[in-house]
Amino acid sequence: MSKNLVLKNISKSFGSLIAVDNVNLTVAPGEFVCFLGPSGCGKTTLLRIITGFEFQTSGDISYGDKNLNNVIPQKRDFGIVFQSYALFPNMTVSQNIAFGLTMRKMPQNLLNKRVDEMLELMGLTEWKAHYPSQLSGGQQQRVALARAIAIKPNVLLLDEPLSALDAKIRVRLRAVIKRLQHELGITMIYVTHDQEEALSMADRVVVMREGQLRQVGSPWEIYKHPKTSFIAEFVGTSNFYEGHIKDSHVIYGKYSFEVSEIDKVDSEKIYLAIRPEDIEIVGTTIASDECVASNIVEVRTELVTFLGAVVSITVNLEGKEMIVDIAQKEFAKKPVKEKESLYLYFPPDAFHVYSEIFKKLI
Amino acid sequence: MTDYTVSSARMEFDKFIIPTVTIFILALLFFFMMFPLWMILKLSFFEGGELALANFTLSNFKQYFTTAYTLRSLWHSLYVSGVTTVIVTIIIFFFAYALTRTTIANKTFFRNIIMLPLVAPSIVQALALIYLFGRNGLITSHLFQTDWNIYGATGIIVSEVLYCLPHAFVILFTTLSAVDIRLDEAAESLGASPFKVFTRITLPSAKYGIISAAALTFNLTITDFGNPVVIGGNYSVLATEIYAQVTNLYRFDLGATISIILLVPSLGAFMLNYYISRKSFSMISGAARPFIPPTRRLKKILYSVYCYLIAFSIIMIFTTVIIGSFVKVWPYDWTLTLAHYSFPSIGGYSAIWTSVWISLIVGVVGSFITLVAAYAMETRQPYFKQVVYFFSVMPAAIPGLVMGLGYILAFNKPYYWFYGTPWIIVINIVICNFTLGILSSVSNLKNIDPSIEEASISLGGDTLSTFFKIIFPLSRVAFIQNFTYFFMRSMTTISAVIFLVSATVHLAAIEIIMLDNDGWTASANAMCTCIIVIVFVMLGILHLVNKWAGKTPSTEMVSG
Ligand SMILES: Nc1ncnc2c1ncn2[C@@H]1O[C@H](COP(=O)(O)OP(=O)(O)O)[C@@H](O)[C@H]1O
Ligand SMILES: [Mg+2]
Repeated sequence: MSKNLVLKNISKSFGSLIAVDNVNLTVAPGEFVCFLGPSGCGKTTLLRIITGFEFQTSGDISYGDKNLNNVIPQKRDFGIVFQSYALFPNMTVSQNIAFGLTMRKMPQNLLNKRVDEMLELMGLTEWKAHYPSQLSGGQQQRVALARAIAIKPNVLLLDEPLSALDAKIRVRLRAVIKRLQHELGITMIYVTHDQEEALSMADRVVVMREGQLRQVGSPWEIYKHPKTSFIAEFVGTSNFYEGHIKDSHVIYGKYSFEVSEIDKVDSEKIYLAIRPEDIEIVGTTIASDECVASNIVEVRTELVTFLGAVVSITVNLEGKEMIVDIAQKEFAKKPVKEKESLYLYFPPDAFHVYSEIFKKLI
Repeated sequence: MTDYTVSSARMEFDKFIIPTVTIFILALLFFFMMFPLWMILKLSFFEGGELALANFTLSNFKQYFTTAYTLRSLWHSLYVSGVTTVIVTIIIFFFAYALTRTTIANKTFFRNIIMLPLVAPSIVQALALIYLFGRNGLITSHLFQTDWNIYGATGIIVSEVLYCLPHAFVILFTTLSAVDIRLDEAAESLGASPFKVFTRITLPSAKYGIISAAALTFNLTITDFGNPVVIGGNYSVLATEIYAQVTNLYRFDLGATISIILLVPSLGAFMLNYYISRKSFSMISGAARPFIPPTRRLKKILYSVYCYLIAFSIIMIFTTVIIGSFVKVWPYDWTLTLAHYSFPSIGGYSAIWTSVWISLIVGVVGSFITLVAAYAMETRQPYFKQVVYFFSVMPAAIPGLVMGLGYILAFNKPYYWFYGTPWIIVINIVICNFTLGILSSVSNLKNIDPSIEEASISLGGDTLSTFFKIIFPLSRVAFIQNFTYFFMRSMTTISAVIFLVSATVHLAAIEIIMLDNDGWTASANAMCTCIIVIVFVMLGILHLVNKWAGKTPSTEMVSG
């Protein structure tokens, strides 16, 4: 019974606005896929096309060998979890969970058994006779999850299910969802604008921007090898510098850097990106011959900000600001003060190069 | 993977539900609104009502406009409505101002009293005024022994003013509560005199509300039938002229013609009100009730006195009618008696029971059908949403009397079995009050998170299950409110049904006119009192039901 959900050339426009732009994607059975992107990039629209609440302007959507283009939402057997929970306020927790089963005319004894299972699974048994308004946000969202998976959906679709909750509960529910996915092997598509959520939960992350899929890959791949400068900035964060290529080195101001990815770009002008935590601190002084080894530069520290697990150091590199993050443990060994000289090392493979930069950064 | 699946046959069937409901609603509005209106148009513009080019004629209009005797009803109507509009707008503006911008005491009392006229037919004012200022009025002939009496234009104006107060109040109260009081304060702190603040800030910021209240008052007055027919005497207005032409002279064609003439100003006022209230609605939504700074002592006293005067006038109307129904011969013999409650007319108590059960049916049918229509319009995939909306708003623009005449012209045929039965009255009242019902249902549905409907659908819910298991239960408070509205309108309406009562179907509100007409004035008051009592009893019951239904589940259960 393992079927792929296949989106083929899916586009959707609202008037002149293209909300979803030629999306191709195959979701394998049991896979956990996250749509990640800033607000307004078309995540919800794409999800609604999958659910059948919105109709694509062009393209095909199929599940297994069945084309879903003209299948109404009721017949798609997809479970949906909404950001606003969308519980039925006039029904108890049990009645909410039972709703989909009632619609499927499940015999009463089986239905009761399934509802009890769901209550158990989500730790809601003691709340079963309560109404949604008597529950906390986190509990309500657990009811919504239970209600959606009670029908054993082919695919479970979640649209920013945690973004209305507090940070602590959000992290707890992430674990709950991840565990459900493991235990029940449900195919899940999870929409979020929170990169941490996407990276921590997904088997595969789909980064969206302006209605398009910009990169599809494992969280590791997305983080380690962001395909575009937008992703390098949006997923995690990066320092960006404009430079050019000379003698297979990247020239930035007075520096010349060795960069592993240098062959990826053939334009004269390039943009260098490096993540704050990929930068290494050599020390406040160095042996004079070390400086000759490339990719070590001297900078002035400006600001040292203690963030808990990491310490963020703002330095000045050729008049441009650079953020360097080091683990709090490292920092304790080699403390850095503000307004002093510091030597940094940029590993050649920590650099990413792009021929274009997304406009917000300039 | 799914073990039990959503039935395909059920879903095939489901596709037809919303279109069917929509077509049904549209058919209803066409048949019971557009068709009667069309019959009126036809009869006024075509010889003998026969639709043919050769029959087209303006002779009815010519006759109306060239006969001084009939033409005066137009001028009378415009005069009476114009004066009433000015008076009501001014009175209510300051009344609403007092309740929203000053710190006078007893605001709840004033708010309840001003709404009182809604529980009685728009005839109670005229009955009371006659008892107080009529030929044998308590104040005119008894107290001052003067020959002056209130019949005619004055009587109509005063009674219409007292009848229109609550309607205009609702609009201006909303407007004035919403307009930001801090503007006034800011101007005052900049040194503007209170008078300047009032004319430069307060008045302009409430202008939409003022226009809207004025337009509504004009519309209500020009279409009212009950008050002018009782207190107008020989002073005919359009509404009474239509009635006279049809019932006394059997001139249906002239009745239809005058109906068209009446439609023009009433439609104009309605459209102005509709246009303005849409505009102002966007301005006032989401405004918070501001803190009101303490009012200066003198201002507070003046406003309190003012509000008490108005409240007193309304209370006097009601007490006069009620006391009048219990005394032997007003104002000469004050012995208490129940004699006036043995109604001399054929209708009598049966009219009251008919009114009650018709009103109960109207209440249930009206609130249900408007909720269904609103749902069909507001659902995920509506059909002809704009068309349904347009035709649903129309009934409010059509005077009840015109609609009633249209019903005679359209349905007085042997094959319309419902003609002459209570059912045509039920239909008529539901259609005439369709607009407010649907508007309040729509605004209620808009408060329900659209995701809730989608959640139901994604779980396999069809339209009927979604409606009956989720939408309907969630709308129960709005449903009860609509029921109250339909019930009240049905108990008190006169103009909509005056043409539809028959030898076998009597209605309490219409009996008032019949009794009064036949000289049984005290019994007319008694009948009016019965209606008021019944409406109050129903309001009490509904208040309890509403409290029970409005209770959220959270208040009755304790979390473990
Ligand atoms: N029903 C609609 N009508 C018109 N525009 C819409 C509609 N739904 C979404 N949009 C537009 O499509 C774009 C994508 O919206 P959405 O899918 O909700 O983004 P996201 O969920 O990523 O925040 C936005 O610009 C939004 O304004
Ligand atoms: Mg969204």
